[in-house]
Amino acid sequence: MSALLLMAPALLLLLAVFVWPLLDYAWLSLQAQSVFTGLQPEPVGLANWQRLLADGRFWQDAGQTLRFAVVSVGLELVLGLGFALLLHQRWRGRGVVRTLTLLPWALPTTVMALGWRWIFNDPNGPINALLQSLGLASVPFLASPQLAWQTTVLADVWKTTPFVALLLLAGLQMIPADLYEAFALEGGSPWQSLWRVTLPLLRPYIFIVLLFRLAQALGVFDLVVVLTGGGPASSTESLAVYAYLNAMRFLDFGYSATVMLGMFVLLLISSAGLLLLQRRVQVRA
Amino acid sequence: MSGTHRQRMALGRSALVALLLLWSLGPMLWQLYTSLRSADALLLGSAGLGGGWTLANYTDVLSGDPPFWRYMLNSTVVGALSTLFTLALAIPCAYALSRRGGLLRLLVGGGLLAAAVFPYVLLFLALLEVARQLGLANNLLALSLPYAGLSLPLAVLLLQAAFAELPVELEENALLEGFSLLQRLRWILLPLMGPAVASTGLLVFLFSWNEFPIALTWLSRSELLTLAPAMARIAGSSVFTVPYGAFAAATVLGSLPLLALLLLFQRQIVAGLTQGAIKG
Repeated sequence: MSALLLMAPALLLLLAVFVWPLLDYAWLSLQAQSVFTGLQPEPVGLANWQRLLADGRFWQDAGQTLRFAVVSVGLELVLGLGFALLLHQRWRGRGVVRTLTLLPWALPTTVMALGWRWIFNDPNGPINALLQSLGLASVPFLASPQLAWQTTVLADVWKTTPFVALLLLAGLQMIPADLYEAFALEGGSPWQSLWRVTLPLLRPYIFIVLLFRLAQALGVFDLVVVLTGGGPASSTESLAVYAYLNAMRFLDFGYSATVMLGMFVLLLISSAGLLLLQRRVQVRA
Repeated sequence: MSGTHRQRMALGRSALVALLLLWSLGPMLWQLYTSLRSADALLLGSAGLGGGWTLANYTDVLSGDPPFWRYMLNSTVVGALSTLFTLALAIPCAYALSRRGGLLRLLVGGGLLAAAVFPYVLLFLALLEVARQLGLANNLLALSLPYAGLSLPLAVLLLQAAFAELPVELEENALLEGFSLLQRLRWILLPLMGPAVASTGLLVFLFSWNEFPIALTWLSRSELLTLAPAMARIAGSSVFTVPYGAFAAATVLGSLPLLALLLLFQRQIVAGLTQGAIKG
């Protein structure tokens, strides 16, 4: 009984912060609450959900968010594994470099998003200045839909790869060194040992990293708001930004809650897909 | 033969390390450089390295209304309050969880794991409604409540793992000596948990310092803004002009406290993050 008493304050706050909002959205998604109703809730049944299913912008944003998450997290995994392998070897100054590589992760996303806006500025940013000095045309990194989303991916990869690398490094440190020695004695090359020793033993860590990063990337918000504002022509708009706009700009709270729940469903499907994938890989191995 | 091979390996690795550092630090060094250049030098690019150096960007940002240090102060206050709240709630909860087995532990543990992974941006609208109804908007003390709530899952999981590592005999002896639960926590267990508490606290502080969507919706008075929404407001206020020297000065100022924190407490931060992965 006393155990529950000790846990009660924390559990109550957790329920208030994580569970109550989702229940509130479930209720709100069945209401019209916008400027047309004087911002008062009026029950409308499934109207918000019907609108969601037919809302081109929702589905476009869902596709963009999913594409962003899959591409960013994929790149972060590959690059982060490279960082981790490098930082796992023994060399002088390794400790300092480990700390310095963590810096992008520690900085507020909004701070560096503002920094990237300058670095990719057209035509005055350093990259375009360099291109021009080489006699090339300056590139509208943030003004073309294709380039803007690539720039957003780059900024996200820059910021979160250190986190991925650190978790994979923790995994590498759990692999006993004699496994590698035994593998080398049997004539295995370093490249083969990466595929046959390192990656299989790293699998649980890779799974945790993927689960965590995929969930966070599907909720991408800070970066988009500051770097591109969702533009040009909402080509970099994420679902979280769309939900935010519905509430804070269009003052349509009922529909915003519905978009949030739509995003939640997408999150559940993605996590379930990842879990299934993990099962299948495990069975095959 | 193998000597030159090893040399070549070492050389290749040095090159890779240099690339890694360039990738990690390059963008920030560029911000530092930009922040020290005059507007003319930035736009015309012709002043060369010799001229165009200035501290004007920093004096501009620091003499704004409100001055930039105000946002950093607000972030520090919210960060410190959130860290205190989180630890005060998480320590008893983690202790109880580590001493219990069975269904309760499984349920709470699983729930905490799911909550730790959950992208909290989904929650901002409902939390904003709470703030409105209870009159909590524009209040830094109140803002640290949702921050504590959002930090709890990771904090409880980390501290729970640390409690579980302490030998049970330690507590049993104290129990025989007639120590109460609070005394056991305060005098026997917590003194041994220093590293875990420190790394958990640091991660909570980092989260609160960087948090954006909730701060953006809870705070509207400009003298109360924390760093993240202040940055967004600076970015949004001037879409058509290019005061990038001032932007860069702001990013440098906003990064400095974190750089200091990271360098001072690198071991605790790394330990906290990797613990989370191993125990999770």
